[in-house]
Parts: sequence; C-alpha cells; structure tokens
Amino acid sequence: MNGYAGKILRIDLTDRRTSAIDTKDYEPWVGGHGIGSAVFWDLVKDKTIKGFDPRNVITIMTSPLSGTLVPGASARTEVQGIGIQSYPVGWFTRSNFGGRFAPMLKYAGWDGIVIEGKADKPVWIDIRNEDVKIKDAKNLWGLDTWKTQEEIWREVSGRGYGRWMELDSERRTTQRPAMLTIGPAGENLSRIGCLIHDAGIASGQGGFGGIWGAKNLKAISVIGTGSIEVANAKELMSARLWAQAKYSTDLKSIDASWFAHFGRKRPQNRFWDPHESARLQACIGCHLGCKERSATGYGNESTCEETAFYVGYDKAKHGGKQTSAAYIATDLLQKYGINGYEASRGLIYIRALQKMGALGYGKKIGCGLDFRQLGEIEFADQYLKMIAFRKGIGDDFAEGFFRAAKRWGRLEEDLKTGILPYSYWGLPEHGYDPRAEVEWGYGSILGDRDINEHDFNFLFWWPSGAIWAGKRPQPPAEEIVKITAEKLVPYEKDPLMLDFSTDNIYSEHMAKLVGWHRHYTRFWKESVLYCDHRWPEFINSRIPGYRGITGEGEPRFFNAVTGKKFSFLDGMELGRKVWNLDHAIWTLQGRHRDMVHFSDYIYHVPYGGLGNYAMYYLPGRDKGKWDYIRVNGRCLDRARFEEFKTEFYNLEGWDVRTGWPKRGTLESLGLKSVADELERHKKLGA
Amino acid sequence: MRSGKLRVPSNDLSKRILSEVGFEDRLEGFRLRERSGPMPVTMYSFEEVVSLLNDPHPRLDFEELEGWVRSVMGDTELAEQIGAAIKKGDNDRERTYSIRDFMEERLNQCRIEGGHNENIV
Repeated sequence: MNGYAGKILRIDLTDRRTSAIDTKDYEPWVGGHGIGSAVFWDLVKDKTIKGFDPRNVITIMTSPLSGTLVPGASARTEVQGIGIQSYPVGWFTRSNFGGRFAPMLKYAGWDGIVIEGKADKPVWIDIRNEDVKIKDAKNLWGLDTWKTQEEIWREVSGRGYGRWMELDSERRTTQRPAMLTIGPAGENLSRIGCLIHDAGIASGQGGFGGIWGAKNLKAISVIGTGSIEVANAKELMSARLWAQAKYSTDLKSIDASWFAHFGRKRPQNRFWDPHESARLQACIGCHLGCKERSATGYGNESTCEETAFYVGYDKAKHGGKQTSAAYIATDLLQKYGINGYEASRGLIYIRALQKMGALGYGKKIGCGLDFRQLGEIEFADQYLKMIAFRKGIGDDFAEGFFRAAKRWGRLEEDLKTGILPYSYWGLPEHGYDPRAEVEWGYGSILGDRDINEHDFNFLFWWPSGAIWAGKRPQPPAEEIVKITAEKLVPYEKDPLMLDFSTDNIYSEHMAKLVGWHRHYTRFWKESVLYCDHRWPEFINSRIPGYRGITGEGEPRFFNAVTGKKFSFLDGMELGRKVWNLDHAIWTLQGRHRDMVHFSDYIYHVPYGGLGNYAMYYLPGRDKGKWDYIRVNGRCLDRARFEEFKTEFYNLEGWDVRTGWPKRGTLESLGLKSVADELERHKKLGA
Repeated sequence: MRSGKLRVPSNDLSKRILSEVGFEDRLEGFRLRERSGPMPVTMYSFEEVVSLLNDPHPRLDFEELEGWVRSVMGDTELAEQIGAAIKKGDNDRERTYSIRDFMEERLNQCRIEGGHNENIV
C-alpha cells in the first residue's frame, strides 16, 4: 500500500480504549474525505444524532500524498463529523487544515484518527509512533491554545527544538510534536469554536472545537519517526521538477509569472500591512509558503480571513495607520479558538444593531461593549472573551450570530434586509457572494457549509482588477472560457458552463459546473488533499496559451506515490461517489429539496447596491457574444433558482421532487448498501 | 482661505466630518482580498471611508459616495469635487485615487485646522 501508513487509529473516549482499523478496508475510498465519510457511515448507526451527542464520530484523515514531496499536497488534514454550526440542522460536515499534523501522523504510522464517545473528564491524547496514551488534561483545561501546546511540548519533548528526543532505544527526532487543540471557546461548547494547530492554523468551520469540548477532549499530540513508502520515487521527483520548470515562477521573467500557482513573487494571503521584518513559512512539503513568522512575534502563521478581522477598525481608529492591534486581535482569535468568519461578520452585525439602537447598554439586547473603543486591542479582547467564555451577551454570540439573532427575535427581519449576512445554512457569507459568483453559493447550499473552495475565483480576479484599472483583460473572455472548459472533464464540450450572465445561471450548463466542482473537490482536494491554495490551476500566466497544470498534474503525482493508474476522470467519478455518500447522510439527517434555499436577502437585495461601478466581472454572453460582464447589482430569482435545483437533481440522478438519491444512481456508484439503508428509512428517491 | 484644493471647512462641518453617523446614514463598500473575495465594509464615519479608499483594492459606488458627502456630511464643495472626479476619471482606479486625495485633504483639514471658514455649509 504505497503512500499509506497502513492503519487508522480508533479511540473510544468513553471506555478509554484504543485500537486500529486496517486502512486496506477503506482503500477504495483513497483517503481524506472519502475514507472519513465511509468510516462515519459504518460507525454511526443513527445519522440523526446531534453534534454534541457522545455517539458523534469525528474522523481526522490524511491522504496517500501526506508526508510526501508532492507540491501543495503533503500537509492537509480532513476533519469530519456531525457539525454544530449550521442551521436548522447541524449537517454532517467537514473542515480542513494544513501545517505539520498530517505528515507527523503518517510518520507515526497512522493514516488517520477516529474519535468516538465522550471522556468522563478532560483528557488529551499522546501519540508517539505506535504508542498511544489517553492522558488526564486537568492541568490543561482552561488554557488557551498556545499555552496548551507549550505545556504538551514541554512534557513530550522538554528540551525543545534542535535537541534529540528519544522515542525508544532506536528511534529519535529533533522535531516537536504536532498538535491539534481547543481553546476556551471549545471548552465552553461554542458552536463557533475551532481546532487550532501551531500558532495560526485552524480547522474552522463546523464547530469542531465545541464538539471536542463536549467530548472532554482538549488536545491530540503526535510525534513520529517513520516514513512513507512511495511507489515510484524517481517519477515523483521528475514530476516535481517538471511542475517547477514548466509552471512555477520564471526567475528570468518574474512578472510573467504573476498568476502561477506554483510560484509567484509573493503569495498574498495576509490582509494586513506587511510586517517590518518577517520570513515566509510553509506547511510541510509545500513549494511556496503562504504564511509568515514575524520579528515581533505577532500574527505568526495566520492567513486569510482572520488576518482581515480587525485591520479595518484598527486603521480607522488610528488615523489610517495600522498598529499592532490588527495582529494581536488575530492572535486572540487563535488563542481562544474562535472562527474568524463568525467573529468578523458578527462584529459587523452587532455594530449595526448598536447603531440602530437595538443593542448596547440598557438596550433591548444588553451589551457591555464600548464601541467607542472599536479599533483598540482592549475592545477586541473584550469581544472575543465574551464569545470564548460566554460572558453576558457572549453566551448568545457563542452560539453563532445566526442563532443569536434568533434568540433576540430578529432573525427574519435581519435576513430580509441582509444586515445579517448569513446566506446559507445559518453560516456567514464568504466574500464570493451567491448573487455574483453563483457556483460558490450553489455549491454551499447544495452541500453542508460555505464551500471555501477558490477554484473558479480567477474568473473574477482576472478581469475585475484589469477593468477597474482601465485595462482590457487579456486573454479575452472567449479564450479564458475555452481554456478552462477544456479541463472540465467530463463536461469539457460545454463552455456554456462558464457563462455567468443572468440568463444562464439557472441553466443545465451551470448545473454541470456546480456538479463538476462538487465532484472535483470531493476527490482531488478533500480526499487526495491537494491544497486549495494551489489546486486546481486552470490558467497560468507564464505558459504560452495560458493552460495551467490541472488535469495532468493531479493524477501524475498521485500515481507516482501510490503506483495506481488513476486517470483524472477516475478521480472525478470517485468524487461523485463520495459526494453521493455525503448526500445520503444529509438525506438521513432530514435534508429535503424544500429546505434548500438561500436567506431572503439573496433574492431581493441587489449585491453591492445598484450602482454602475466596476466591482465584480465574470465571463458571460451578451447577445450571444462572450465578454466580461458586470454581475454586481443583481439578486437571484427565487423561482428560477427552483428551476436550477431541478436541473441539478436531474444531472446528479436524484429525485427532483424530494432531492433524495435514487437507487439506480447509488447502485451505479457501487453504493447498494447505502440505497438499502435509505429505503429502510423511507428516504430513497423515486 | 485655501489649503490645497479645498477651502478650509467651518467648525460645524469639521464636527460633522469627524463624527460618526447613524445606521440609516451608513455607507457600504468592499475590500477585495484574494482568498476572502470582496469583503463587505460598513462605514459609519468619514474616517472609515478614507481608510477604505487607502486600501489596495477598495470598491464602492462613487455616485452614492457623492450623495453621501453632499447630504449626510453636508459638504457641498467636496461633493462637487467628487462629482467632477467621477466625470474626469477614465477608470475607477483613477477615480478612487482622485476622490481619496480630496477626502484625505478634507479629513486632515478637519483634524488639524479645526475649520474657520463659515462660507461653507
């Protein structure tokens, strides 16, 4: 089994027992999400249990590529289980993080971890190669995520980096354990609590922090000294050198590589002003490094949304100059273990309520926050502490701001106006709005969460920046559509999939794009665990003709490691299978077509207002001719979205009346037992 | 009395420009970020608008901004300058920079000079 450690660690917290599952039993699902869903299906008999239920099973899975030299695929870990964040149902959901955890778990000899039950008091898991102990976490409970990791590092590898740590008489390492831990938010069962790894890496969506808190699980620490067998090491190195030579930064002409996932001048994933002095930091095996460690020690390793959480308030408060408040507020998110999107969108929301006179001192929604201090560190700390420790109104915040609005009797009204920007399943809206870039919103509402998969955003970035700056985007829309569509196997003959004009966004063509996206991500990104920052790559500015690595790169690396002969299409088909299994789980949880709709504001509040200004452009046809068309200013049409759902369900082979999977579809995917189970519950599509 | 391109604001105008506005008078825009996408920004003060315009990738409706400066801030002179910048600019980047410069100048006047010219209403 090249690429695999060979066994999955099974931990029963209730009985404090550990055992091993043979990975071979689940190898047809390949890894990551596929194996996670299959294990969940097998072990959780009643899929209708709530996320806080001790019977909820959490899987933490690696892939065959974890711990190898495949670029942008060595370090991801997939977390799954019944979530507690979404509404009205805590869907079976997923989250994903990078760093050191997945490779270290593989080096310790494990392809994944399955957590069952609930400990009677706080515990942490100490994994040192095959030696696994469930330990008392009394001294860790109450600590933030950084202190927790420091304490465990001290216990496991007391002498720190650069010193040898003996695991037994023959195996030693200079590495520190990789850890996944919860902070006070998780301990206090917050639905927006995260799992945190190292300084600033989070498994954010789903509320897995709160789920661990309910299981009395404070942390998992792993240190390993093994390695991973690769089927064809020479081919793996050749593939890596091929990718570097052809697709990465051209050092002779750096500007030409401005859009190249395999290397650019400076990866831009941090949204605050650059540190005065910092060095790039990468996940294990990554060729790029999108994180940073700074000389000040502030904001280490944080990227993306959490780095944007406070910077705007900081600058507005301090005369347009950023202070350390922006970095420190982000660090507090990581230390308390709070979901950055919820904290960010929630702050916009409660500030609006405060301005409306609905929230504040002595108001209907009593809140002790002094908004005059917004932008100062003290405000951020007070706000985040309220969430993490459920202090005062923070008890409502900790439920997530959708549920908070419901508690306050404001939900319907605030979803209608859109001041509560939560568009799908009670979850905060990503920037890629369903009214503009529909494949993101459709994928989210047809699934379980904000997809947070950036695969098609280049179609927005590429023209939108150019048009804003008064330039003509190159290549033209028709060409970018042609190049991209060619890679959308098995729908490669239908470029209309990429037509984002209002007339086309409810069509069968768009259903194909959404389906392709669900299948691609379920396999190549969530099961094989290619990093979302680097994969897929449709377009590469360095290549004459712009054609990126996707389609060729994914199977080439995968086959080099595993020795299999997977084609790109094989992966797409397995992705469809995993997606169908997930959909069956949601169906058993209560999913029905009638529930699948966006929040009200998506249907009647124009995105970005009505103004005719350059904001959001995507490829589309205008009177039959391809162009980059402006899509800000539009709403979705409720009735036509229903038409889209019918198109999508038909395409997937699901019942258009209920949205439930059909027997024929499931059996064609080798999921007969899943169809039988649905039938037993009278949930099989007709 | 002139400072740069704009006349020195009155005390009243300075106070308005340095104050926060209520919910109904808020202004909305976006900061574009590669991973997050267009991130909504709700602004309740002139300072917050300037802060957004200084962002590397700001987006907002300039006509709405012109109306906001005219009716909410009560700054006719600045609103006219914004209106002229909208017409004059060849693209939104030029408009952003030009409007940002005017607004920054006004903000600095209000912060530093306090305002003495009662001719501006």
